[in-house]
Amino acid sequence: MEQLLLTGVFLTVLFALLGSGVWVGISLIGVALCGMELFTSRPAGDAMVTTMWAQASSWTLTALPLFIWMGEILFRTRLSENLFRGLAPWMRSLPGGLLHVNVLGCAIFAAISGSSAATVVTVGKMAIPELQRRRYPERLIIGSLAGAGTLGLLIPPSIILIVYGVTVNQSIDQLFMAGVFPGMMLAVLFMGYIAFWSLTHRDQMPPPDARVSFWRRLGESTQLIPVLLLILAVLGSIYFGFATATEAAALGVVGALVISAAQKSLNWKSFKESLMGAAVTSAMIALILAGAAFLTLAMGFTQLPRNLAGWIGSLELTPLMLIVALTVFYIILGCFLDGISAVVLTMAVIEPMVQQAGFDMIWFGIYLVIVVEMAQITPPIGFNLFVLQGMTGHDMGYIARAALPLFCMMILAVVLVVAFPEIATWLPETLRSRP
Amino acid sequence: MVLTRFLDVLFRACGAVAAVCLVAIAVLVLTSILGRLLGVYIAGLNAYAGYMMAASSFFALAYAFRRGGHIRVNLLLTRLRGKARWALEVWCLGVASGLTVYLAWFCIRMVSVSLDFGDVSEGPDATPLWIAQLPMAIGSTIFALCLIESFLVALLTGRVEQDDGESVGPGHGPDNGQGA
Repeated sequence: MEQLLLTGVFLTVLFALLGSGVWVGISLIGVALCGMELFTSRPAGDAMVTTMWAQASSWTLTALPLFIWMGEILFRTRLSENLFRGLAPWMRSLPGGLLHVNVLGCAIFAAISGSSAATVVTVGKMAIPELQRRRYPERLIIGSLAGAGTLGLLIPPSIILIVYGVTVNQSIDQLFMAGVFPGMMLAVLFMGYIAFWSLTHRDQMPPPDARVSFWRRLGESTQLIPVLLLILAVLGSIYFGFATATEAAALGVVGALVISAAQKSLNWKSFKESLMGAAVTSAMIALILAGAAFLTLAMGFTQLPRNLAGWIGSLELTPLMLIVALTVFYIILGCFLDGISAVVLTMAVIEPMVQQAGFDMIWFGIYLVIVVEMAQITPPIGFNLFVLQGMTGHDMGYIARAALPLFCMMILAVVLVVAFPEIATWLPETLRSRP
Repeated sequence: MVLTRFLDVLFRACGAVAAVCLVAIAVLVLTSILGRLLGVYIAGLNAYAGYMMAASSFFALAYAFRRGGHIRVNLLLTRLRGKARWALEVWCLGVASGLTVYLAWFCIRMVSVSLDFGDVSEGPDATPLWIAQLPMAIGSTIFALCLIESFLVALLTGRVEQDDGESVGPGHGPDNGQGA
């Protein structure tokens, strides 16, 4: 009974702090502190800073600012333009035409940046006006961009996978390997939807662009080659075991600087801005991670996660029912919290439960990221919606409705990843078992 | 206000230190790759990259706050106007000030304990821990200072900074550059 009361107090504090708008990282510290004071007599403050120090100074975490920096550098190059010009000529004859540039552009940018907002901005900056000029249906331009932008979270290097890996102590390398095929699958699903829609709504599709000769097309695409090589080098070095995620990230920064210099986009101003942007974003995430580390510690004392795991265990749910329940829970949570906060906050509580249910933690990470991705396009809090609102001037409801079919594709992706876990686990297991 | 202007310079300087630490991480990691290729093992590089990570994160806290880089759930906040909005903002800043002072106090204590006991890192670098932990204490103290100042300004002037552009989000650095 007492336990129940304390849990109630604890949840109230959590909702009061987060809901009133106290910064997420600081809220987590407050909630954890409250938990420590309520449930143990251990001195909270010293335990707090020791945990945070161990977390903040861990070598694994250094991949985070480096990947963010790499994305920030390339964000300031002419990549937006190059992506559109390099991809568009190849897409013209597909059903759905240049709309596929949105999806492929997002998939490529996702492979150099771990953020979905940056992905939407980079691809949309060029693609939105170009597609509007060609009179593609507005709804589909916006919807496909909002949906495909979420690929930034799943296709490695992914910031949220690093955050997940650090939170639950799983290998970032393995997570990055596991993310590739689900990411590609999602891209294919999005493109499939676009093709399907355009075949069933032929009257609303504009005529295809004029044909461009093969050599011209190749010529336009050469601008993309350095970036594609960089992606291959960064991810390849992880997959073939030459480098850890952190090392690959450092090499990625060098590669990004070289590309930026070759395109004459690199100057003191853009260098400084990319660096400061990276410092700000990584400090924001580090504060949330520090708060989450303390929360995980406090949770251990409260017994709440153990009790929850025990309770769920006593319900004897099948793994499938548990996953369905979790999916609904995360979609609702995602309406109010951003992905990173949702991951660290919930993993502090449900990790023992997930372990006990026998899920593979690498697989669960991929599942979690897809579910959290959906939150990027659900109102009232969805970062891709905010970004597109700023870029197009449409209201949130319109954008959310435009993205709804893509949201359904993501649900389909979750179903597929649950039904065929090998989509995520095959690559890491194959590469791990190799000598 | 002179104080605000002084603090702004201080926070920006901390942001610059954080940026330098970030470059240092990259250089340290690259050095270790190079070392491995040449077959030279340099002890402690990984540990130093970790210390730089902590230093960079904590030094940038206040600067990130000033740039609106820290995320929050502003569902309620953006729906309020006038006095109610001000009161909620003051509550948030007050709670945050209290908690960051608490954090800073214990960070300082950790450094002083490490110093008293002469703790050294467990890794091959054997760095005195207080040196490695010092940036965390400094950064968190300045972060606390930053929140207290925002709290007092909001409380005394009755004004709050409007950040209705709900565009702050993870990895969203490039688009919310108000400062710098």
